[in-house]
Parts: sequence; C-alpha cells; structure tokens
Amino acid sequence: MTLVFWVFSLLGFSASQDTVALAEVAVYAPVLDRFAQGQKVISFEKRDLEAYSARSLGDLLQEKSPVFVRQYGAGMLASPSFRGTSAGHTAVFWNGLPINSISLGQSDLSILPIQAIDQAEVHFGSSGALFGNEAIGGSVHLGTKAQFGQGFTGRMSQTFGSFGLSNSAISAGFSGKSFSTQTKLYRQFAQNDFPFRDLSRPGTPEIRAENAQTEQVGWVQDAAWNLSEKSQLKASLWWNRADRQIQPVMGSATLDTQQDQSWRAVLDYFRFGEGSIWNVKAGWVADQLTFNGSENRTRQFLLATDWDIQKIENWTFKVGARGTFAKGDLSTYSASDQRLELYQSAKWETSDRLSLSANFRQLGYQDQMEPFLPGLGMDFLIWEKVNHQLLLKASAGKGFKVPTLNDRFWSPGGNPDLLPEKSVNGEIGLHWLKKGGFAWEQSLTYYRMQVDNWIIWLPQGAIWSPQNIREVQNQGVEYQGKMTWKTGLWNWEARVSYTFSQALDLTSDSQNPRQLPYTPKQQANGSLETERNGFSMNLSTFYVGSRSIGTGNARVLAGYQLWNAGLSFSQLRWKKLQLPISFQVLNLLDRDYQVLYLRAMPGRSYQFNLTLIL
Amino acid sequence: MKYLFTKQLWALALILLLFSCENGDDERPLGKYDSGILLMNEGAFGANDGEVFHFDPASGTLTQNIFETENNRPFAGLLEDMVLEEDRLYLVANTGKVEIVNPGDFKSIGAVIGDLDQPRSLATARGKLFISDYGPYDASFRTPDSYVAVVSGLDGGMVKKKIEVSNKPEDLFASGKYVFVAGSEEKKVEIIDADTETVTKTLEVSGKPVQFFEQRGDLWVYSYDRENVYFQSFHRDNLTKKNFLQVPIANATSRIALGEDDRIYILTSTGWPDYKDGIAVTSIFDSTLIPSWKAGSGFYGIGFDKARQEIYVANSKGFQGNGEVIVYRKDGSVVKTLEVGRGPSGFLVR
Repeated sequence: MTLVFWVFSLLGFSASQDTVALAEVAVYAPVLDRFAQGQKVISFEKRDLEAYSARSLGDLLQEKSPVFVRQYGAGMLASPSFRGTSAGHTAVFWNGLPINSISLGQSDLSILPIQAIDQAEVHFGSSGALFGNEAIGGSVHLGTKAQFGQGFTGRMSQTFGSFGLSNSAISAGFSGKSFSTQTKLYRQFAQNDFPFRDLSRPGTPEIRAENAQTEQVGWVQDAAWNLSEKSQLKASLWWNRADRQIQPVMGSATLDTQQDQSWRAVLDYFRFGEGSIWNVKAGWVADQLTFNGSENRTRQFLLATDWDIQKIENWTFKVGARGTFAKGDLSTYSASDQRLELYQSAKWETSDRLSLSANFRQLGYQDQMEPFLPGLGMDFLIWEKVNHQLLLKASAGKGFKVPTLNDRFWSPGGNPDLLPEKSVNGEIGLHWLKKGGFAWEQSLTYYRMQVDNWIIWLPQGAIWSPQNIREVQNQGVEYQGKMTWKTGLWNWEARVSYTFSQALDLTSDSQNPRQLPYTPKQQANGSLETERNGFSMNLSTFYVGSRSIGTGNARVLAGYQLWNAGLSFSQLRWKKLQLPISFQVLNLLDRDYQVLYLRAMPGRSYQFNLTLIL
Repeated sequence: MKYLFTKQLWALALILLLFSCENGDDERPLGKYDSGILLMNEGAFGANDGEVFHFDPASGTLTQNIFETENNRPFAGLLEDMVLEEDRLYLVANTGKVEIVNPGDFKSIGAVIGDLDQPRSLATARGKLFISDYGPYDASFRTPDSYVAVVSGLDGGMVKKKIEVSNKPEDLFASGKYVFVAGSEEKKVEIIDADTETVTKTLEVSGKPVQFFEQRGDLWVYSYDRENVYFQSFHRDNLTKKNFLQVPIANATSRIALGEDDRIYILTSTGWPDYKDGIAVTSIFDSTLIPSWKAGSGFYGIGFDKARQEIYVANSKGFQGNGEVIVYRKDGSVVKTLEVGRGPSGFLVR
C-alpha cells in the first residue's frame, strides 16, 4: 500500500498524464510524457492494440497516426517516416530499452508484432534531450505491462485469414500481492500468395505473389517482485524470430530470404523514497540478421541509472546517466562502440495553468563529445469551463543521430569520419478537450524542423560510401480529432486525422527545393465505430498522397485510399470462459496500390479471430 | 458507326502510307522516335525504374518515360542496354528480360521473359537473338554459369539454348554468321557460329574486353585495366587477331563514345576512396591523347551526336532520383543541361 501511495504521489499531479490506468497498476513504469511538456504524444489504447493484434506495428502506425510507413510488400520491411524524416530518424524503445539495430540504425516494424506488446506510445519531433540517439523525427515506445493481484490469467487467440494467414498466441500469467509473472508465446504465419497484376510483363497478367512467405515466432516473459515496501524489481525478456522470403520487386525474379532473430532483456530496480524514485536499469539486445546465408550479429549492453526527485513544491527533477557498450560482427567487418550519456530534466508547475519543462543531455561516443542537447516545453491551460479545456502546447528541441556501425565501418565504403546527423525542431499546438454526452478531443499541431548532416550512401565508382550530404527543411500541420457520443443504447466513436508534411531537400537545388522522395505531402485517416452490448462494427479508411520515388519528379506514385471494415462480439461466454470473436475485411474495395514503386500489395483480404479468455 | 470509323481509319492510314512512300526511299513513315536521341536511364537497384527518355536536339524537347507512355505499363527493370538491329529496338534489362519495341513509336512487339538471369547485351544473326547473360550469382557472388542465350525469332519468345561462355560476357557483335562475345572477366573474345550455336573460336585479349565497335571498316574490341586501355581488331574472315594498340589511360571504365575524327571518348573513375571521375580522349589512328578532357563526379555514361558534333555526358547524381545529362561542344563548352531519369547510362543517337 505504501508503494502504491508513493507512485500516486509522484504521478498523480500532472494534468497531462494518464492517471486512469494507474488505479490498478502497482508495477511501476516511468511515464513517457512526465517531462515532455509541449510535445506531441499519441498513446494507443488497449482496444487499438487488440484490433491490430494479428497485424503489425507498421499497419497500426500507418492507419492510426500521422506516420508514413514505407512498406516493401506484405509482411516485408516496413520502416517509419515521422514528419518527413527517414527510418533511421526514429528511436524505438521496448520497456525503456533502445532496440534499433546498431548496425542499421533502424527497426523493421514488420518484425515487432503487436501480439508481443501491451502498450504503445508514439512521440513526435526531435527530442534528443529526453530520449537520446535517433529521436529526430520521433520515437516509438513499446512495452509490456505486468500487474499485481490478478491471480491466474490465461488467454488463447487464433486468427485465420486470406493468403494462408494463421496467427496463434497463448499467454498465461499469475500475480499475487508481491509477485507477478506473465508468459506469452506466439506464431504468425502467412503464405502471402496473393494475386496481383504484374506490371512488368506484356499484357500485365494477374499472377500470384511468389517468394513472399513469412513466419514469426516469439516468446515474451515478464516478471515483477516487490522486494520490500520500498523497492521493486522488474524483468522482461523478448525473443523474436522471423523467417521471411523477400518478395521481389516486379520485374525481378529474386529468391532472397532473410532471418531475423532478436533477444532483448531488461532488468529494472526501483527504490521508492520520500518524494523520489531511484531506478537502475540493465539491458541487453542481441540481433542476428541472416540475408541469403550471410550472417550479421550485433549485441548491445546498457546500464543506466536515474533519480526522479520531487522535494520542492511544484518542482520535479530527474538526473541520470546511461552507458552503452555495443559490438557488431557483420559479414564484412567487426567493430565495437561505447557511449556515455548524462541527462537531466526539470519541470516547474508555476500554477494550475502553466507548467514548463527543460531537458538536457550530453552524449559522448568513441572519443568525441557532442554538443549539449537541450529541449524546452510548455503546457498552458488557456481556458477552462465546465466541460471544456483548451491547452496550448509549445516546445523546441534538438535531436541527433550517431552514425551507425555500418555507416562507419562497412567494408568497403564505410566512412569513419562521418559526423552525427542533427536536427532542430519547434512545434506549437492546441489541444481541446470536451467532456460530456458529446465528448471530443482535438489537437492541431504546427511543426518546423531542420535536419542537417543527413547521411546518404552515394556511389563512388562501384563502391558506395556514406556522406553527410543532405540538408532538409520540414514543416507541417497535424490534426487529430476523436469524438464520442451515444444514441440510445449505441456508443459511437469517430476519429479523424489529417497531416500535411512538407520536407524540402535543400541539397541539390536550394533555390528550387523539392519534396523528399517517398514523403507524401498529405495523409489522412478516419474511422467510425459503434458498439452495443458487446457487439461492435467499425469502418475505417486511410489516404496516402502522391509521392515521388526519387529526388526530382521523374516518377511520381499516385496517392491511394484504402478501406477496412470489421465486426466483433465480445460478450460470448461459455461457463467461466469469455470468447470474443471478430471478423475483419482489409482493403474492402480491393484497390490495386503500391506503397513503394513496383512492390505488389494484397487486394481484399479477410481475417477471422477467436479468443479464449480465462 | 463503329464499322464506318474503322474504315475511315484504314483509309487515313493508307493515305499516310502513300504520302510517306512518296517522300523517300524508306519503306515506312518516320516515327516520332526515329530521330533525335534516346537517353537510357538504368534505374536504381531494387526499384526497377529503368526507362528511356527522348531528346530532340532541334527543338530542345525532352520526353520522359517513353516506354511507359507508349505501352501503358512501366518498363519495370534495370535497363542495361539498348540495341537497334533489324528494325527493332531491343531493351535489355539485367533484372531478367528483353523488351522489344518498334523503334519509331516504341510500341511493344515482343519480349524475352523467363529463362534469363542477368542479361547484358544482345545481337541478331541468322534471324535469331543472341543475348549475353552473366547467369545467376553463386553464394560468393561469382558468376560461374555465364552464357549466351539463343532465341529463335527476332520478336522474342522462349530461350531455346544457352551457350556456355567465359564469366561475365558483356557486349556482342554480329558479323555475318559469327557473333563476337566480349568475355570481360576472363579476358577472352569468344566467337559463336550462329548456325551451329556453338563457340567456334576463343581469342585471348589484353585487359577486360567490354565493347565492340567499327572504325574505318574494321571490327575492334575495347578493353581496359587499372593502368591502360587496349584496342584489338579482328580479321572477320579467318577469325584471327589483326591490329593491337595499348594507350596509357589509367582508371578507365567500360563506357566509351566514338567521337569526331575517329576520336574515342573514355569515362574514367578512380573509384573509392579518393573518388574522381573524368573523361579521357584518344584515337587509334593518330597520337591523340587527352588524359583529362573533363573532370568531375557521378559520370555514368557518354555518347556522341555525330550530326551536331556534340558530346553527351550522363551523371547519375548518386542514383538518388533524377539524373543529369550535360551536352558539350567539342571545345568542352556546355550547350545544355538536361534533367533526366534515374541512373542515366547511355545514348542511342538516331
């Protein structure tokens, strides 16, 4: 009980924090937006994750956020682009552990199955001060969520779908007052032999996709202990293995295969003092990527500690240090890297209306120290009436990216003299909440960002070598709205989102800068859902605007809009068992589209899911 | 109504045909791509966005993506070579196909799809197609199974035979019933008898042979190594070597253009790490040697417009997107700069 009290006293004060979920949560997890005043964060609800449990994180981000996901085919490489930046400009965390590959400097969203996680949050904009390396365009924060006092829990889920899709997951857990454990096992398989029009052949005949089969298996283990009234230990382990045939681009008949295996482990110790929390974190990530038999292994070990203090009224501080040791044994080189980071955050709640935060980070890697990375933010309650709340959010920050191991050491071509990529980001937004019978939450954000020293691999004769060449200026507007209301016994929810994103490449022609390749200027999505007594129906759509496939405009891919629809019933029961069922139709109108040029995507497909909950 | 219309179209076609026949000796009307310059854009690996652009030097008009424009489907391949023979234009994609179009209007006539691995070039002889192909890569990225594929008709179809040749065959040249193969990796010129479809003779050459050409009535092969470039001519009757010339041009690449007064323009590149590209000029018939006619980076292709005496230099611009072509006069001054497709690599002057 004491423990719960401390957690509340530390977290229960901020208007911007999600305090609802804390009611039953005794396993502590630092809140993402604790010092992220003025910054844009989207938290996906449990319901969202469940609806996408048989799909990938890439699908979720593409269809439910302003992020553009570059998909190389169904189940193939999916890399995020936040606010017109590249995949490597997105930091990805799992339970606070950075999990981007240290050799590639990015994550493939297709092999981060939603079945493995319990929560997902997406942060926008450069925030090197808060999140460190690679948080230039934004960051993705995934996590598992252990709970105490739940007794035995069990869950089994099976999805069948078109093109040989079969996803299975089983999870079981037990938690008492001071101990909690949860085990998840999953397998996701797709034959992916969907029909498509092969544009590379005379007559563009319809053929079936070949060499596109994917299989993923994984194991997630969480455990938490209350060692004493004032200390807690939390451990998580995630093993994921993906075996994929690599779907060839139209016109090529390649038969590439790729295996990705990752081990991720994190151990957290929390010591709860009077107005303070001390955390020690140890993490380990081992990745193995085998492409056509050529093996690449990387390992990183991380040790971090921080102290979160709230001793003075209205002031909250955090100071911390993080050390990372990384080693890569790649097909063409072996290299290691060490990083040390010192960071501190401060938040000042000047009044009920205004809170300010300041974050700083200093990074050192190899023998260089990077400039101090600051970030400043503000939340200001402009106006509050019975049911209305209008909030002004403003922030500015810097981001950076240390060149990846491949950038520096790939043989031949690696460039050890590369400088880190850097960004400056500023944003301002309005957040309008309305409670009541017809409730809404709307936000409108304008951002501006400049990315310098952007690393591009360029040919130098037959050998490609990376250079700090690109300079990009980004600006855009993001609108998100959610409305809920009731008609009779029906509960309704509608969501609308629109993104305008300009990312101008100042490198080749600064007088006449053009939009970066594969960066749609416009994106939108919307959904409508209605629910009554456990029966729900949903219809959703998303639109991705036109985008050029390379610098300049020699070839532009047309925009596309897709529709999905679904039905579900959650009140099916048999004795003590709950048996929720759902049925989804993806690409309802059977649109022929490409996300990336000549990468075939599936037409209409169906998924049926049955879950057993104990 | 429809019938009537069709009839009128036929009549129109007939009139056009009659007029064009009156205008010259050529049997068919001049198509819109029968003059000017075809720019070959290789495209980027993994994107298969190779395409052909057309440039009319007289009007300065540049037409993009003419294969897709005329056929309502993308080329969808990495465009390695364009070969104009037998009134057909062969577009060789090293991603595994050959598309055959009418050179005048770029309408598809046929294709060779399937059975090919990494085709590099093509020649026609005895009514057949001969396609040089690296063959598949093995586990260590070598190509031990290179071949020349034979297709029975000039309009494409199935591969009927694969003639084993030395590793990494590049350019082909047909002379009568013989097809000369530039065997680049093993420094060989192999000669195929188009009737028997077998290699009848193999000649060793200096350097890495990559390109055949004719000058002053002789058939030559151009080859290079780190220090020199080499020119070797052949007796076409008894298939023996004729004249040989070695020129000290370092860092030459496979890309050359035949210029004015029998001059030969050669792209050079030091490669990584101290990367510099350049253009050298030499001649087989006199002592011309300009080691650095132009210097820069990103040079990827070169061509020469004999009618206008202009040199076309393609710049890949790092394959990031649009490439660039700079047109030079013989004196090296710039005539024009064109923004073209991805990875511009060669020219066909019509």
